[in-house]
Amino acid sequence: MSRIDEIKAAFEAEISSCKRLEGLEEMKVRYLGRKGELTSVLRSLSELPEDERRKAGMEANKLKELMNSGIEEARTRLEMKSRGEKASEMDVTLPGFGPPRGGLHPITKTMGRISEIFVSLGFRIAEGPEVETEFYNFEALNIPLDHPSRDGFDTFYIKGKTLLRSHTSNVQIHIMQKQKPPFQVLMPGRVYRPDAVDATHSFMFHQVEGLMVDTDISFADLKGALTLFCRSMFGEDTRMRFRPSFFPFTEPSAEVDISCFICKGKGCRVCKMSGWLEIMGAGLVDPKVFEAVGYDPGKYTGFAFGMGVERIAMLLYGINDIRLFYENDVRFLRQFI
Amino acid sequence: MKLSYEWLKEYVEIDVKVEELAHALTMTGSAVEEIKATPQGKTLQLEITSNRPDCLNMLGLAREAAAIYGKKIKMPDLSAAKAERTSMRVECQIKAKDLCQLYTARVIEGVHVGPTPGNIVKRLEAVDLRTVNNIVDVTNYCLMELGQPMHVFDLDRIKGAKVIVRKAVKGERLITIDGVDRELSEGMLIIADADGPIAIAGIMGGKNTEVTAGTKNVLLESACFDPVTVRRTARKLAISTDSSYRFERGIDKGMVAPASDRASKMIAASTGGKIGKLLEAGSRAETAQKIIKIDVGRTERLLGASVGKTRIKKIFRGLGLDIKKESAAKLKVKVPSFRGDLMRDIDLVEEVARIYGYDNIPSKVSKIIPQGERKEKPKKVDEKIRTDLAGAGWQEIMTYSMVPYRAYEDLSSISASPVEIMNPLSEEQKFLAPNLVDGMLKVISRNLNRKNMDLRLFETGKIYKKTGPGEKDIMESPELCIGITGCARKNWKEGAVQSSFYDVKGVVERLLSGLRINTFFKTADIPGLVTASHVRIGNEKRLVGFAGEISPKTLERYDISQPVFIAQISLNEVTRHAVLEDTFTPVPRFPSAFRDVSVQCDKELEVDGLKDAMEQECEGIVKKVEIIDLYEGDKIPAGKKSLTFSIEYALPDRTLTDEEVGAAHDKIKKAVAEKFGVTYR
Repeated sequence: MSRIDEIKAAFEAEISSCKRLEGLEEMKVRYLGRKGELTSVLRSLSELPEDERRKAGMEANKLKELMNSGIEEARTRLEMKSRGEKASEMDVTLPGFGPPRGGLHPITKTMGRISEIFVSLGFRIAEGPEVETEFYNFEALNIPLDHPSRDGFDTFYIKGKTLLRSHTSNVQIHIMQKQKPPFQVLMPGRVYRPDAVDATHSFMFHQVEGLMVDTDISFADLKGALTLFCRSMFGEDTRMRFRPSFFPFTEPSAEVDISCFICKGKGCRVCKMSGWLEIMGAGLVDPKVFEAVGYDPGKYTGFAFGMGVERIAMLLYGINDIRLFYENDVRFLRQFI
Repeated sequence: MKLSYEWLKEYVEIDVKVEELAHALTMTGSAVEEIKATPQGKTLQLEITSNRPDCLNMLGLAREAAAIYGKKIKMPDLSAAKAERTSMRVECQIKAKDLCQLYTARVIEGVHVGPTPGNIVKRLEAVDLRTVNNIVDVTNYCLMELGQPMHVFDLDRIKGAKVIVRKAVKGERLITIDGVDRELSEGMLIIADADGPIAIAGIMGGKNTEVTAGTKNVLLESACFDPVTVRRTARKLAISTDSSYRFERGIDKGMVAPASDRASKMIAASTGGKIGKLLEAGSRAETAQKIIKIDVGRTERLLGASVGKTRIKKIFRGLGLDIKKESAAKLKVKVPSFRGDLMRDIDLVEEVARIYGYDNIPSKVSKIIPQGERKEKPKKVDEKIRTDLAGAGWQEIMTYSMVPYRAYEDLSSISASPVEIMNPLSEEQKFLAPNLVDGMLKVISRNLNRKNMDLRLFETGKIYKKTGPGEKDIMESPELCIGITGCARKNWKEGAVQSSFYDVKGVVERLLSGLRINTFFKTADIPGLVTASHVRIGNEKRLVGFAGEISPKTLERYDISQPVFIAQISLNEVTRHAVLEDTFTPVPRFPSAFRDVSVQCDKELEVDGLKDAMEQECEGIVKKVEIIDLYEGDKIPAGKKSLTFSIEYALPDRTLTDEEVGAAHDKIKKAVAEKFGVTYR
């Protein structure tokens, strides 16, 4: 056995039994240091004849590499072990240091969901003023003064003909005054009506209004868009029905019902045993509205729809009191993540 | 509107289950809300839209049923009543011709007031009408049957044998049959005799001419009053009657005289009275002959359904519309007087859709119209702010836009001039919000009260301000409000860290840096706030809001007893400066060098000034100056503080040498010492 083989055997025996990081350092010095065992062998090589010198040199260098990598491997092994020992002293059940959780208001979330679906159907989002004039809130929408059709639109007035909008339909007029068809827009926003506050009424609430105008928009397009919306909003198996109704700014007008998703249409307290939930109003844009904004009603057709966000949020989450939205108790708000 | 199924069957021969009828009516626009079983048979509670006054009676609903089921209408007996000579004479006159197109009256002499025949009582009870006597009940019966409101006066109590339709004059009063003494205002339409008012036209009769048990002779009124005047008067007097409800929506002028005939005969039959001649003022003529042209192709295109001309004609005939003329593509239709709502071709399109059935119109997958950006910048900024804040641990709130005057008064230094509402629900909602802080403090107060102690909240909402004296001088602008109170951080290792001004400042900085906006805070004197600061942004350092701690005195008014820190920022300004687009610049290839410097200076010296000076002294080499420590305490002289900055040095095109960094660092230290008189440790 050559001297190199002896050193190799000794090193291998020692390294496999080394249990401390400090021991590794000591070994490194002892074998590979300036006065180390292998170093001294390498140094003595010059005394050997030419051909032996080459052979022994190669062997010694090979061992040097082996030792270096052996020490590194052992170091990694020992370090891992030591970290593991430290970790086992910690109580992993103590709470972590994550930052607190925030959240969006349920009305924002509901309005966001509605908007995203319509954006995916090609609608552009637009907003309009809350402080409005009678022209935009009523006249241009074919709601005459002193007409029973105004009954549903009791309004807060500020001064003269300036008022707080009672629906988001005012934005329709602003949009149409500004641009020519074709377009499809979604108009979410805050609206106001002087209703005494109770569990289902609020003097301030939110609506989402939609409008699509081109030269060939039909009632079938309206049904298509709203059917796609309702299925993604309320579930794939949602059934729908369109009932004739009356709104001054649409004709034909429809009330849109969806099958009650609580009882699956069997009849329950929420749907008043009818199996249906009234979800929005819709219709083809009345020619008088087109006239009010200077569109040719013989050329353009369009559909419009509108829905109440609070009502939809209440139905979706099973919230029984509209006032909860504006009380802002964080124990309520934090349920919506 | 209550519908009796048994009564309806008098006019249309249908034999479907009541549930099926209810469904059919609902699906054609007369929504059935409830079906009830009564001793008089099944009744339906209907919601009739305001454009369909013709459906507010049995005959009208029978027409709907007839159109749905393809049946013929059986009309009630509307033949003229045989008039006899009466000894009593009355004169009718319309003075307010603009408000009353047609007024009829008829004398019925020698009546015996008594109980109403059982068949009439049965009908009235089915639709929840209370019976009075054999005269009044007949008018109610005809109202429910035909939709024509009528009124009966005690003829002997009419003064001067005269009934005049005129506008009330100032000071006139009338005790109506409900016993209320009402002050009539000028211009209200009334019926008067020689002495004064005896009825409020179309709304309610007067006690002075009411039919009583002792009444011997009556005058039966059937008329057509202007919807607007009836509506205004009813609203002003705060009364709504079955009569006013129908007049407001518009009645069938063609039914005025026939209804009078039918009622006269029924009254005569049950009271033994003698029917006089029909007295008439005004005109029976329709204001306009209603012929509407409708294009079959356009109808089908609007509906997106191939209904077919034959079907359309059948629908019109079923609804009682006469087809006057037809060509291959067009129909000319005459509208009967009872359908006042049908005026344009689009109204007829709706009739086609209604009876054809909305459910039978196909549902088409709509096209997408190409149109640029789906969301405008303000919307994108608003959404980014909300999601950023929610992600950073802040909870969104939503408060009322209407506030009491207090909201302005208590926070006047941070409020816009408030906008007042003319008809508020209460003092608590009398003004539009002039700031968002009031809403925030109310929410904080309510939550603290409920023991929700650590709050970090935000709201994006509008504030409103008066910008001048005119009715249009009102501005609404979106703002962001942030509020924090209680512990900012709390855990078992580091304990609780109370929230501070720097939590508000930090979140504003973080938020705006996400929109690539530089933020500057500058000490300001804002009443109502302590440690107050203006918030400025952008390169021109525009004032966009404020931040600070709400003064304890203000907090007291909101019943809050722990510190609250707040900021309010204009979103219009933020949107204007925000850069939403990501842009790429190459990542530096050469490493930075870092050197720290500890400065001792006067406590009052603001860090921003020092930092700016350090950044500017060796521009081009200094990449960033960051404050990493602040010490105030025993180890340094009183009135002093110690600040440690870390300065990052780098060049874009090569690595800086130690010597270059050292030289720059010394230069900065020297310059800052000269400028601010600071010392180094």
